[in-house]
Amino acid sequence: MSDDRDELDPGARGRTILFFIGGVPLIGLLAAAMVQLPRSGAGHSLYGDLLVGAAVRERHVTDVVTAINFDYRGFDTLGEELILFASVMGVLLILRKSDEQPACDDREDERQTRRAPPTSEAVRALGLGMIGVTLTFGLYIITHGQLTPGGGFQGGVIVATAWVLLYLAGDARAYERATPKPVVEAFEAVGALAYALLGFAGLLAGLSFLANLLPLGPIATAHSGGTIALLSVATGREVAGGFVLLVTSFVEEALAERAGSS
Amino acid sequence: MSFSAILPPIPVALPLLTAALLGFGGKHTPRRLADAIAIAVATLVTCATIYLAIEAAHHPIVYWFGGWKLRSGVPLGIAFVVDEAGAILASTGGLLTTLALLFSLHYFDSVGALFHALMLIFLAGVCGFCLTGDLFNLFVWFELMSAAAFGLCAYKAEEPAPLQGAINFAVTNTIGAFFIVVGLALLYGRTGALNLAELGRAIGPTPDLLVVIAFFSLTLAFLVKGAIVPFHFWLADAHAVAPTPVCVLFSGIMVELGIFGIVRVHSAIFAGVLPVPGGLRDVFLVAGGITAVLGAVMAFAQRHLKRLLAYSTASHMGIALSAWALASPKGLAGGIAYLVGHGLTKAALFLSAGLVLHTLRDVDEIKLRGRGRSHPLVGAILALAALGLAGAPWGTLLGDSLLDDLAMKQHLHGFVIISWFAGIVTAAAALRAAGRIFLGFGAREPEAPDVGGIEGEAPETAPSPRRVPVPMLLAPIAALICGTLWNLWPPLRQSIANAAGQLADHAGYLARVLRGAQAESIAPHLAPPSWVHAVIPPLAALALAFLTLARSRLPFAMRRRAAGKLNIFWRPLRRLHSGHVGDQVAWLTFGAALFAVAFALLYR
Amino acid sequence: MTLDAETVLQLGALGALVVVGPVVVLTRAPRAQVIAFTCYGLLFGLACLAFQAPDVALAQFVVGAVALPILVLLTLARMRRHQEEADATRARLKKERQG
Repeated sequence: MSDDRDELDPGARGRTILFFIGGVPLIGLLAAAMVQLPRSGAGHSLYGDLLVGAAVRERHVTDVVTAINFDYRGFDTLGEELILFASVMGVLLILRKSDEQPACDDREDERQTRRAPPTSEAVRALGLGMIGVTLTFGLYIITHGQLTPGGGFQGGVIVATAWVLLYLAGDARAYERATPKPVVEAFEAVGALAYALLGFAGLLAGLSFLANLLPLGPIATAHSGGTIALLSVATGREVAGGFVLLVTSFVEEALAERAGSS
Repeated sequence: MSFSAILPPIPVALPLLTAALLGFGGKHTPRRLADAIAIAVATLVTCATIYLAIEAAHHPIVYWFGGWKLRSGVPLGIAFVVDEAGAILASTGGLLTTLALLFSLHYFDSVGALFHALMLIFLAGVCGFCLTGDLFNLFVWFELMSAAAFGLCAYKAEEPAPLQGAINFAVTNTIGAFFIVVGLALLYGRTGALNLAELGRAIGPTPDLLVVIAFFSLTLAFLVKGAIVPFHFWLADAHAVAPTPVCVLFSGIMVELGIFGIVRVHSAIFAGVLPVPGGLRDVFLVAGGITAVLGAVMAFAQRHLKRLLAYSTASHMGIALSAWALASPKGLAGGIAYLVGHGLTKAALFLSAGLVLHTLRDVDEIKLRGRGRSHPLVGAILALAALGLAGAPWGTLLGDSLLDDLAMKQHLHGFVIISWFAGIVTAAAALRAAGRIFLGFGAREPEAPDVGGIEGEAPETAPSPRRVPVPMLLAPIAALICGTLWNLWPPLRQSIANAAGQLADHAGYLARVLRGAQAESIAPHLAPPSWVHAVIPPLAALALAFLTLARSRLPFAMRRRAAGKLNIFWRPLRRLHSGHVGDQVAWLTFGAALFAVAFALLYR
Repeated sequence: MTLDAETVLQLGALGALVVVGPVVVLTRAPRAQVIAFTCYGLLFGLACLAFQAPDVALAQFVVGAVALPILVLLTLARMRRHQEEADATRARLKKERQG
């Protein structure tokens, strides 16, 4: 239906012209401004140098980026985590209609004719085989953010990918059993909650919000960096939970279909 | 350790914590419990920010997160710099959220506590945006506010229209937000700083193209959020489809923060290198003037009440933008007075629109003609709030009075004419709607052809009892009372003066953040509002509304001729406001190019 | 300016982005566009690596090449299902009207 409208749309041509009249000088000016930036690798920023110099000594971690994300600028990460949290809520709100709507009978016969093709054995074997590896890798990335590249955000998505593999590998029942929605919702919320609570812990201890409270431990071990590791795990939970929740609410219909047809 | 030394993170952290808690309960949180928690938290945030506003009267409060302060004079962590203006706007956000939550006590069945959680996250974003002293952090809260707003906008997602409106809103605002990142990257690449004060120091005194384009990029995002022409298209679509309590927040604080974002970023970073009086002033005065006029005209052409109010918001934001462009502490004071006064009276207007929807099941002025006769109280609130738009003492009186005074001194008679025009026409549009709905005046057909976009308004409440629930009535009345205090209570006027003094004091801000200086900024002296503004424009608006409604008594031939002439004028406007997201993006690009080229030419 | 290995790598990555970017925009079929976009995401991650930002690269890989394509594909699947249902309903209504 939308295609018909686009063809009949009288404004399409004018819109494109207007877009290019504006877009060309805009890109030109942006490019001209960016050319004035210092050459990549040549300029040293005061802030960057300061943090790179201080992080290992002060926080006993070897991945400075993680130290910035979860300590020096940990407050930004709280906001970012909540952006994801709010977005997932928004999607749940928008998709909620089909949650409440039971499958109607008159669609039953159509569904029979349009059954999803069976998952091939190869996909199934490969997918199931990779679930364990992906999960382990994700957990590793979450828990070793302070030592090597990565952290809660990246690891969280990888962990969630393991769940998607479970779905792709074709075992819809297993997927459903592994992801009861209320549990995932709670799992996600605890991630966000833990981050905020760790922030308040700093206040309660008489320090600032999100101050690093715990002993920093020796340099470059799994438990160095004090609260950094905890915040990373909280973020990982939130991200993994949020992403699984998104996927689940998108595939719910498909799941119902597959369960009905198999 | 004084109380104000631990308070700054609370307005952001507390609502976020509560939102996560409500999310934990998911769909199983009892509705009344969620109501109670959310209202309690919003009230607490309001009190905390008011306390901060009192504490920040002399100089901004600087708070370093994680305890990371300056090191060898360079900020290491993220700072909240709570100045008077930021605290005032944050408390306005808190107050409006409280009222909106109060109003929604009797609202549609919410999906568990999702609605409450999103409202609180939105509030946290508002507070963070107002209080932060760090550019990246500013972007984070801006995005958080937007993410929550998109979800809230699409709340009634059962029908296609809300989704379409929310998509227009999301697409245009996300493009705007993208430009914040561009500006941020340019500034960080040049200076290696993210703290606003540190940026202000490191940026140097000479403007080159990079600085100008960085300023343009940051401004663009806020212009989109502030619904300045030609970036205003999303506004009416989003307001038309969003639930009424959400409209209260959109029009009452979110759009205002677009204008405030420009002021904040300019006063902290760019005031030294790109002073407003040099060139920028004309660009923003023109943009503001066009927005004020077009917004008012479009508002007058609507029959959908929420859409009408949305266009009036755009019109008023045009005036607020011009206020900043007047480039003086008094102009800033007038701007702040105007933003908050408008926010309060517009909140009351949307709340009464929500009452109309609740009692009469529609918000179409024409369809509802005369059907509101049995609800005189709702009509009275709507009409009173509408008068606030023209400068009644619970609306924009103080702002109008200060700004007109200043503009006359600067010989900007055009500004004065436009600000009167915008106030009178938008108020008359709302009064006309009130007269038609609650008194049954006027014709059965609209005076102007409907210049719409996305349509669709479904009742948001369960079929109502005859009586309006008390909290729903209390909310708009409370907004009007707060508005009256805001305009007339002298201590608040002193707060506004302090806020303007701090915003105008670029060097003082830098010294406070980077050196902990204790010096107090010089606050301008603000005269009490003049009664001319409180009486004449509202009366003019009443007269205009009455004339419009009485036009149906004119001889038919005369009306026909006038309508034929006016069609030449309406047709292009209607085509312009098509509600097509592609059009909106094309106009955004075009408008962005206009601003970018204008800035680049000014600082060649 | 001497061209060391790093510069070559960086220029190569940027060059690939310049080529693939327009391909993404000009691909109109949604599912093909997802594939193109995933390629773009992978290349962008490689570019981040070339500019010595492994953390960003990892985030870009997982978001641009995994999370986003999955979400878009799921959305497309859902939309198609709704479209088919709408078509079926329309066809049935037509049949009923004729019959």
